[in-house]
Amino acid sequence: MIRINNLSYTYPDRTLALDGVDLSIEKGEFVALIGKNGCGKTTLVRHLNALLMPTSGSISVFGMDTTDTSNVWNIRQTVGMVFQNPQTQFVGTTLEEDVAFGPENLALPQNEIQERVDRSLREVDLLEYKTYSPKTLSGGQMQRAAIAGILAMEPQCIVLDEVTSMLDPQSRSNVLDTIAQLHQSGKTIIYVTQRIEEILPIADRIISMNNGRIEFVGTPKEYLASVESPIPAVTSLMRKLKAKGFDVNGNVFTVDDALLEITKATQVRDKNKTETSGNG
Amino acid sequence: MDELFLSYIHGDSILYRLDPRTKLVTLMVISILVLQTFTFPCLGVFIIFFILLAHLSGVSTGILIRSIKPMLIFFTFIFLMHLFLTKGTPIFQIGLVHPTFEGLTTGTIITARFVLLILFASLLTATTRPTMITNGIERLLRPLPLKRFGLSSFDIATMMSLSIRFVPVLLNTARQIRYAQISRCLDIRHNMFRGVSTTITPMIRESLQTADELAIAMESRCYQGNFRTSLFELKMRSADWVVLCGISGLAVLSYI
Repeated sequence: MIRINNLSYTYPDRTLALDGVDLSIEKGEFVALIGKNGCGKTTLVRHLNALLMPTSGSISVFGMDTTDTSNVWNIRQTVGMVFQNPQTQFVGTTLEEDVAFGPENLALPQNEIQERVDRSLREVDLLEYKTYSPKTLSGGQMQRAAIAGILAMEPQCIVLDEVTSMLDPQSRSNVLDTIAQLHQSGKTIIYVTQRIEEILPIADRIISMNNGRIEFVGTPKEYLASVESPIPAVTSLMRKLKAKGFDVNGNVFTVDDALLEITKATQVRDKNKTETSGNG
Repeated sequence: MDELFLSYIHGDSILYRLDPRTKLVTLMVISILVLQTFTFPCLGVFIIFFILLAHLSGVSTGILIRSIKPMLIFFTFIFLMHLFLTKGTPIFQIGLVHPTFEGLTTGTIITARFVLLILFASLLTATTRPTMITNGIERLLRPLPLKRFGLSSFDIATMMSLSIRFVPVLLNTARQIRYAQISRCLDIRHNMFRGVSTTITPMIRESLQTADELAIAMESRCYQGNFRTSLFELKMRSADWVVLCGISGLAVLSYI
């Protein structure tokens, strides 16, 4: 339910960041936005909740035009945004105060704020930490807290802008699990990342950007079939095996699928060997 | 730096349960009264009053008294200034230096006043969460015509709570910048102030970057700077009114 038509954006210093972007994202979809540093991913997603206004072109978010200033607060409630640095988006002195920040801005009554804070913290599995101060939380916990802060505004769509890039592997996997759960509960997810391997198993569609333009749109399988790099280490290994003559699929990206392919290929090879020796 | 000056201490007592507005108004009245004391008996009354309140608060008196520590140099300075610069009967004389008995009395009274101010303030901050203090100040400022200056009471409250939140973060950043420079052979053994200018430049850049990211994050969470509600709505109870009546009675009495 997001329609982007011929969107271009030029920064005040005259850098052209987006150059004629056309894109549609459907309700309930999990879309991953990938591309090199400076390719315009962040600029693009900042248009989705009216933090930036297009230089030309238009964006409609769940039927609301982002250039119409009267829609701004509705749009920001509908599309929540989680940023890269967990430290600079944590505004409260405790976890519950931080999660309450959004609902407080919406001037909701106290009992409703409390209810939303508890519900959101439960959803990201942090309810027991609600009176903790940010200095006692890990990076992953703070990032999940930031997600809870957005959930408390009950958005339909959540944009996550490189949210795992400052986290350790364990925290990253916890945050990804939380995001996958949110997607299953029906939220539209737009996930900006540099790490292709973390989104291939969970995203419905991959959008790849380069120099302010959209270069590729398609399913994870189509993405892998169309590119040489960047690809996950597993896929790279499978392609090398294939080049060595193994009969495997060069476009699998999970360890389990790769294992299955390799087992199958070795079984076929063993069978061929016995048949050849039997004939001989 | 984790134990910050005048910080909140978890606990529960009648002082914790009072509305922050009551505590703020009471602190203001007490501060005015303390600044008007000129005699030792009056100071004695306030000291007893503080001990009584500290006992009621359930916070250990040691922690409260420790809040004076960062101000010790300031207090000593004030005391010595009065001791040596007040004219009167000299206690002894060495060259031009002659402390006076009058100086000793005024110095003691004035320093004691400042110590009492800090002690009473530490009682407020120890028993009230920072958010509640900012909420209280916001509510007290709300009737003022701040719009004329392009501000709202909510803006001021947000600014205060963000300062409380980000002072430790910025201190941490400063420490990291310092370590990064020491690891590149900045020698601070003989002069603590070496490298201050090279620390300040990245510090300012970092603070502006933080402020920018924070502003964007706040804006995307619908912060508009005007009317907003709070997770902790304030409610005056009968105990609050009793305290307020008591403190106004005391103020009137002392005035007479």
